[in-house]
Amino acid sequence: MNQLWSIILLSLVLFFSCSRRVDLNRVVIWHQMRVDERLILEEQMKKYMQLHPDVKLEAIYKETEELRSGFIIAAIAGQGPDFVYGPSDQVGPFQVMNIIKPLDNIFSKSYLDSLNPKALTYYKGQLYQIADKLGNHLTLVYNKKLLQHPPQTDQEMIEIGKKLTLDKNGDGKTDQYGLVWNYTEPFFFIPFMTGFGGWVMDDDGKPTLDNNGVIDGLNFIKDLRDKYKIIPKEADYNVADALFKDEKAAMIINGDWSWAGYEKAGIDIGISPLPKITKTGLWCAPMVSPKGFSLNKNVPEEKIELVVNVLKYLLNSENQLQTAILLNTMPTMKNLYEDPLIKNNEILINSQRQIENGRPMPIVPELRAIWDAMRPSYQAVLGGDKTPEQAAKDMQGLALRKIAEMNE
Amino acid sequence: MSIRAESVEHRVMSAEQRFTNNKKQMNRYYKNIFIFIFVAPAFLVLLGVVFYPFIYNVVISFSNMNLRHIQDWELVGPRQYIKVFTEPTEPNFYVIFLKTVIWTGVNVFFHVVIGVFLALLLNQKIKGKGIYRTLLILPWAIPQYIVALTWRGMFNYEYGSINIIITKYLNLPAVEWLKSPTEAFMACILTNVWLGFPFMMVVALGALQSIPHELYEAANIDGASWYHKLKNITLPLIRPVMIPAITLGIVWTFNNLNIVWLVSNAGEPSDNTHILVSFVYKAAFNLYRYGYAAALSIVIFFILLIFSLSFMKRTKATEAAY
Repeated sequence: MNQLWSIILLSLVLFFSCSRRVDLNRVVIWHQMRVDERLILEEQMKKYMQLHPDVKLEAIYKETEELRSGFIIAAIAGQGPDFVYGPSDQVGPFQVMNIIKPLDNIFSKSYLDSLNPKALTYYKGQLYQIADKLGNHLTLVYNKKLLQHPPQTDQEMIEIGKKLTLDKNGDGKTDQYGLVWNYTEPFFFIPFMTGFGGWVMDDDGKPTLDNNGVIDGLNFIKDLRDKYKIIPKEADYNVADALFKDEKAAMIINGDWSWAGYEKAGIDIGISPLPKITKTGLWCAPMVSPKGFSLNKNVPEEKIELVVNVLKYLLNSENQLQTAILLNTMPTMKNLYEDPLIKNNEILINSQRQIENGRPMPIVPELRAIWDAMRPSYQAVLGGDKTPEQAAKDMQGLALRKIAEMNE
Repeated sequence: MSIRAESVEHRVMSAEQRFTNNKKQMNRYYKNIFIFIFVAPAFLVLLGVVFYPFIYNVVISFSNMNLRHIQDWELVGPRQYIKVFTEPTEPNFYVIFLKTVIWTGVNVFFHVVIGVFLALLLNQKIKGKGIYRTLLILPWAIPQYIVALTWRGMFNYEYGSINIIITKYLNLPAVEWLKSPTEAFMACILTNVWLGFPFMMVVALGALQSIPHELYEAANIDGASWYHKLKNITLPLIRPVMIPAITLGIVWTFNNLNIVWLVSNAGEPSDNTHILVSFVYKAAFNLYRYGYAAALSIVIFFILLIFSLSFMKRTKATEAAY
């Protein structure tokens, strides 16, 4: 019997010794960067490893949702990567779950001062994320071959859209659309909602969806599709993206992450802020959020120096400039704003104009429930199953209920 | 021989017998230990990856674990189970359950019918059988993720190949596949039917090839028709193989998150294409409601357990055919 017990014991020891030990010279980053971004990050990490041969850096890609759920599970179990990279709205839930570390005391004030204040995401009075890119915002992207002067107002957009929506071969089917975007996702609805004076929540995080901004915004999109017929009957992200890349659409509403891809596809793109709504005199304002690094709660004290060093390296001016030029994203180091390569970059100038028109994305966890509450009614309006008025009311009701469920 | 000598002999024999008996016992004991040693690693892995998570799941289904109580959760009794059955979600539990039953029933029905039909064809002597077989197994060889997203593209209203076929070649009006709840649900089912029949086909083909030819020869001599051979020989003899496969198919389809999630883009339109598992996924990972999601998954587990047991019992799947 002793033999038996020793075997069981041995197996158990083997089984549990499989868990990972903290490696003080290895820094792991989980991120949700697209391929172009990812390759640059990996290249910069390689350079760091050449400078510091004893340190090993590792970047692991996960799709946004998987990144969040994976990080939550890992961090609660006392594991996970050292850094988690993503848009600032993940800071809210992570902070509430107590799985990321405040960064105020880890980085010196003078260092933090060298960054654009918009790159620093504070929640409940403490710093939780430092960004390397600003924006993550939607803009109007247009194909310069098909359109020289982008619209400044909604009326102009409709006019231009009508001119550029073409049935080239006369078979009764549209071969080129004036405008496309992913109009199944409420994130892309925000600019229209704000253009008509609405916003997702008040300062206390309570949803404010039952308003004219939502109703008028929904009516506007319906008109673009059914009255003016300048957008396709149905378009999700992939369809819109493919139409623009195939030059079957003159304009697309898409985020800064997509621009490099369009250039790579050989399209001569121009960037312009989303138009002003004539009725309200307001610019269509997309949500703007920094994208950056947060530190896992489980990173031990003795490793802090190394992770700070790594992050400072990845955020240094040289690396940020390289990323900004290759991807046309807005850097966060203040001194770069005076760099001629940034200052004279047409895309970045217009991107900056859009950022100024945008509104910061709330980082409270409630936003998640609001997206979830908006989606069904938004899609029902576009599917013709609900009136915009009913949709606004339902969105609000559902958002309140989901927030209550989330916070119970 | 005296009685005494007899009893001595008896004692010697019984000592010998005892010795062999003991030896047998020891052998059995060692054999058992060896079996145990060989099974132990697998058992330990099962303990780690199946039993422990399962029990943990049961525990958190009775807890209030969610966004606000993820580290400091406590047991709150059957509250989450009550919510599963009474919460006015849109759509609610019963509607989603009904949809899941339809989803599973329709899918498995077509998987089996198409699968068995094709297996019967492939079991004939036809030219180029290998090529057909490879082509028919293809859906199975492509990663589900790719299949789902490709089909989603094919269901697009204007540019999808399905609508192009419908309008151009069949002269019918285009279908708004992804925008209306019923059509979107049908789109998911179509995708999964395409994806699922090869499994049933392969299983059925294996079963068909194991049926002795003599049975058909005897039937031919008796002058049995094609239909009678199918009904009285083929179907009864592939049954013992097909029933477990169907049970497995039902459990898999019932729990098939990928296709519904990816084809309908997470329940679109308006959360109308959810089946129970995609609904659980959404509850757990979109809104961080871990306790609720755990309770719902335990409910799903019991639905499947009860179903599988009764199905196996009714169809006598575990009984031999020959």
